Amino acid sequence: MSTETSLQPTAALPSRWARFRDSYLLYSFRRDLIAQVSLAVFIAFVACAVLAPWLAPMNPYDLAQIDILASELPPFWIDGSDPAYLLGTDAQGRDLLSTILYGARVSLIIGFGAVALQALLGVVFGLLAGYLGGRIDAFLMRLADIQLSFSTLMVAIVVGALVKAIFGGATFSAYAVPLLVLIIGLAEWPQYARTVRASVLAEKGKEYVDAARTMGLPSRRIMFRHILPNTLSPIFVISTVQVANAIISEAALSFLGLGMPETHPSLGSLIKSGFDYIQSGSWWITLIPGAVLVVLVLVINLLGDWLRDVLNPRLYKG
Amino acid sequence: MMFKRTLLAAVVGATMTGAALLPATASAETTLRMAYDADPVSLDIHEQLSGGILQLSHMTHDPLVRWDQDLSFEPRLATGWEQVDDTTMRMTLREGVEFHSGNPFTAEDVVWTVERLKRSPDFKAIFDPIASVEAIDDHTVEITTAEPYPLLLNLATYIFPMDSAFYSGTDEDGDPKDEIVKNGNSFASANLSGTGPYTVVEHRKGVRMEFERNPNYWDGDSPGNVDTIVLTPISENATRVAALLSGDVDFIAPVPPNDLERVRESEDAKLVTMSGTRIIFFHMNQERVEAFKDPKVRQAFAYAVNQDAIADRLMKGFATPAAQFSPEGYAGHIDSLERRYDLEKAQALMEEAGYADGFEITMMAHVNDAKIAQAVATMLARINVDVDLKTLPKAQYWGEFDNRAADMMMIGWHADTEDSANFHEYLTACPDADTGAGQYNAGNYCNPKLDKLVAEANLEVDLEKRAEMLQQVEQTLYDEAAFVPLHWQDLAWAAAPNVNIEPVLNVMNFPYLGDLVVDEAE
Repeated sequence: MSTETSLQPTAALPSRWARFRDSYLLYSFRRDLIAQVSLAVFIAFVACAVLAPWLAPMNPYDLAQIDILASELPPFWIDGSDPAYLLGTDAQGRDLLSTILYGARVSLIIGFGAVALQALLGVVFGLLAGYLGGRIDAFLMRLADIQLSFSTLMVAIVVGALVKAIFGGATFSAYAVPLLVLIIGLAEWPQYARTVRASVLAEKGKEYVDAARTMGLPSRRIMFRHILPNTLSPIFVISTVQVANAIISEAALSFLGLGMPETHPSLGSLIKSGFDYIQSGSWWITLIPGAVLVVLVLVINLLGDWLRDVLNPRLYKG
Repeated sequence: MMFKRTLLAAVVGATMTGAALLPATASAETTLRMAYDADPVSLDIHEQLSGGILQLSHMTHDPLVRWDQDLSFEPRLATGWEQVDDTTMRMTLREGVEFHSGNPFTAEDVVWTVERLKRSPDFKAIFDPIASVEAIDDHTVEITTAEPYPLLLNLATYIFPMDSAFYSGTDEDGDPKDEIVKNGNSFASANLSGTGPYTVVEHRKGVRMEFERNPNYWDGDSPGNVDTIVLTPISENATRVAALLSGDVDFIAPVPPNDLERVRESEDAKLVTMSGTRIIFFHMNQERVEAFKDPKVRQAFAYAVNQDAIADRLMKGFATPAAQFSPEGYAGHIDSLERRYDLEKAQALMEEAGYADGFEITMMAHVNDAKIAQAVATMLARINVDVDLKTLPKAQYWGEFDNRAADMMMIGWHADTEDSANFHEYLTACPDADTGAGQYNAGNYCNPKLDKLVAEANLEVDLEKRAEMLQQVEQTLYDEAAFVPLHWQDLAWAAAPNVNIEPVLNVMNFPYLGDLVVDEAE
């Protein structure tokens, strides 16, 4: 990335930490309250998700811990609540707080996992297409076009139905998380590939690439060591948006009954399970996880916004 | 397996509520838009023994007799009946009745219909007692049973004469028009001609069904004034209720338990509830799961399920927790049978049977019962049974049910004859495709002694003795834990205030929509 700002004339290169401390990235972060709050909330989410097994009062995925007699209890600020269930319970007697913690974990795993897969596929295909050009470019980009013409939901429905038909519902339930990562990852790689390809095309003609080529470096090294680092800024920006998208996709799939199984509710399936009750009193089953989902996606998007502003050289100079 | 009852009371009730005694001749077209959780799976009323099909039958056909709201018989296509001897009943049929196709209704149609019922895989078991039907003249039939059979009139409520001329011959593909194909395509599943108050104008499966009042309907005394009925299946509970409250539809059923209060308090709707006799339970398939052959394992399952919690929390008290098939008031009902939720006992039984670590099973239920099935899965987790639950829409569920596609399958059953014997005959009798016995026995439970006992009970004229025999059956099913009972479901319907549904509703859940009166909206 090109944001290094070593202005000191000293001979010794400043340490990494010093470079970071002096960076424009940190400078702008310090002056941006929204970014700070968003990051704090996001870190809190990640911490909760990682520590869910220790933080949660019960394990919502262990059916033996669920007691139907404790169903539909309201959150603590409403009469009739039980202090053992801070945010109340769902229609089956699952503790909402625990389910939200575990659900956030699922959301984040799927969000980051799917984006990692998308990025991997997208960057490799994008570099190849942009740098090699010709037939490979045409082939990969048509592949991307075809892929883009299927919506994520459609891919998920087809893959989900196939897996369930071939391996049975139990297998699908057991491997729901990796499957969702795979589905959402496969469905959205073209976003990366196209961005990377565009950047590569812009970089390819520059002198440092010519120089590297004249030195006889292999294509692979030029692509990954010389061009890739210069295309990272847009990749970072897309990644934040894509993480939020992947989380929403997971929630949507689970809401439609195509994602996490009922016995392992994520935020999306929890929202769905409360849907029948939203107008008949027990609104918290849908609204609380819904609010959590909105906040999670919102902070990721705000962070993405901030990052885009920082990494955009035009805004930076101005 | 479904429900059934009558109209006389409906007619009387409707006239008394003071609407108009005269059949409505107002020029304005009256349309009833209604939403059920599912539409009938077929137009062939002999294809499936289900509530949906029988509800359809009451719209497009007429039974020989039907139940009124007091559970007595009301003449419909049969105007009179007399017992000729122990095994023969002579029925006089209504004259001047025409089918939708224009063909006249005669005794031959009744003979043809009963013969077809005896061929139907779903219906043949209840019609097994009938040995033969004979047309004496155009408007008289004689029904003969092999042995004296006390429930013959109950059976007649399920005889909806079909248009024999209309269903004779072969269709374009060369298949006979009267062929009965389960979950498939046949002439009868797409074409219908009955004598009933409504004709089917359009049937788009799972989307929309439109009925029009039969202009030549024989029952001139029927107060019904609805010209067009549009049936839209809405499987999502909350959506169905919202559709009523927002005025998109005028009549819905069922009303989900968690929305009862909201509907009751709404000014845009009125709610009608009845305490039901429909048993909801799970079969445990012994053919698919070796462990279910062990009565101890089945008992453990029965001990692990807390019926009271489900009735109280999920059904909101809108159901009576059950320990047996027969609801109170039925001959086979045993007062002393207790619900046996006892987790420790369940765990002990599993250990005794050698399954302390449990095992894995698959479970299937209809989507609207998903919450109940999930709760049962949760309860079974406590005896280390790992449940893979799948919920399906009704249209697909029955296909899977016929294939016995899961280890535990949920079903609701209303005794077709309003009698305890019907439960055993369909749900726990040794399955036999020839007689139709055990047609809905997805557990493959089989105890020939019980089959014999029920057969004997059906011939027993001494009602006290008969009740004793049926109770013995119920007791044995309980002791051997042939199934996992849950509850008797209460019934609920809701309609816009100008739709007078009370007089046409009954505990069988067969709304007699032909007699429905809709007041003109202000």
